[in-house]
Amino acid sequence: MSATAARIEVHRPLPPEEAARADFYALLGRLLYAPADGTLLAALAAADPIPPSGDPALARAWEGLTRASSAMDIDAAAEEYELLFCAMGKAPVSIYAGHYIGSPAADHPRVRLQGEFAAFGLGPRQGHNEPEDHFAGLFEVMRVLVAGAPGRGSAPIADQKRFFEGFLAEGARDFFAAVTKAGQANYYRRVAEVGLAFLAIEAESFELD
Amino acid sequence: MKTKSTSRRNFLIAAGAGSAGAVAAVATLRKPGAGTKTAAGAAKGDGYHVSEHIQKYYKTTEV
Repeated sequence: MSATAARIEVHRPLPPEEAARADFYALLGRLLYAPADGTLLAALAAADPIPPSGDPALARAWEGLTRASSAMDIDAAAEEYELLFCAMGKAPVSIYAGHYIGSPAADHPRVRLQGEFAAFGLGPRQGHNEPEDHFAGLFEVMRVLVAGAPGRGSAPIADQKRFFEGFLAEGARDFFAAVTKAGQANYYRRVAEVGLAFLAIEAESFELD
Repeated sequence: MKTKSTSRRNFLIAAGAGSAGAVAAVATLRKPGAGTKTAAGAAKGDGYHVSEHIQKYYKTTEV
C-alpha cells in the first residue's frame, strides 16, 4: 500500500511593513499607468495622514499628495498626465526607464527586462503593449515580488533588491526628480515627491539586507 | 544578537510608521488589467509577448 502526500501550499500573511511596501508600489504603478480618475483622487483625498514619527519626508510628501488630490479634478489630471508624459513629439518627461538608465543597444534595459520577466515568470497582461521599461510596469513587478500573487509567494529579498537596483533605484529616482523640475508639473509633482521619499526608504532598507 | 534582516525590518517599521493604513485604502484601486501576468497565465500562452511595436523597437537596437 502506498500513499501520496497531497501538496499543501501555506500562504503566510505579509507582515504590515511588507504590505505597506507592496501598497506603495501598487499606488505608484497606478498613478503612472494612467491619469488619476475620480475614484482614485477621492480615495487619496480621504486617505489618513502618515504621522511624522516615521519618515518625515514621506509624511510631508503624503500630505502634499492628499491635499492636491482633494483639489484636483479628473480633467486637469488627465490633461497634465498627457502633457507631461505623452506629448506629441518628445514628451517633457520620459516615463520609460531606458531614458534614465540607457545602455548600449545590445544591453538596453528593455532587453535585460525580458530576461528578468522570464526568470520571474512574469509578463504583461494581454492587450497591454507598453514597452517593458514603462515605470508603471516596473512598479507593478516590484509589487508582485514583494506581495506575491495567486499561486506564488513573495520573491526573496535578494531578488527584490536586484530588480530594484537594476531598474528603479537610479532610474525611478531620476524620473521623479525630472517630474519635480518640469514646468508643466503640478499634481504629478506631488506624486513624484511621494515617489522620491518612498524610493529613499527602499534604497536604505536594501542596504540593511 | 540582532540580525541584518531584523535591522531591515525595524528600519521599515520605523520609517513607514503609520503609512500602512494610509496607503492601503488607495492601493487597492489598481487599474483593472494593469501590470503583470504571472507564470500561470504565461503557461496558457497568453503571457508575455513581443508586440509589433516592440519588434520595431528591437530592430532599431540591432548593431
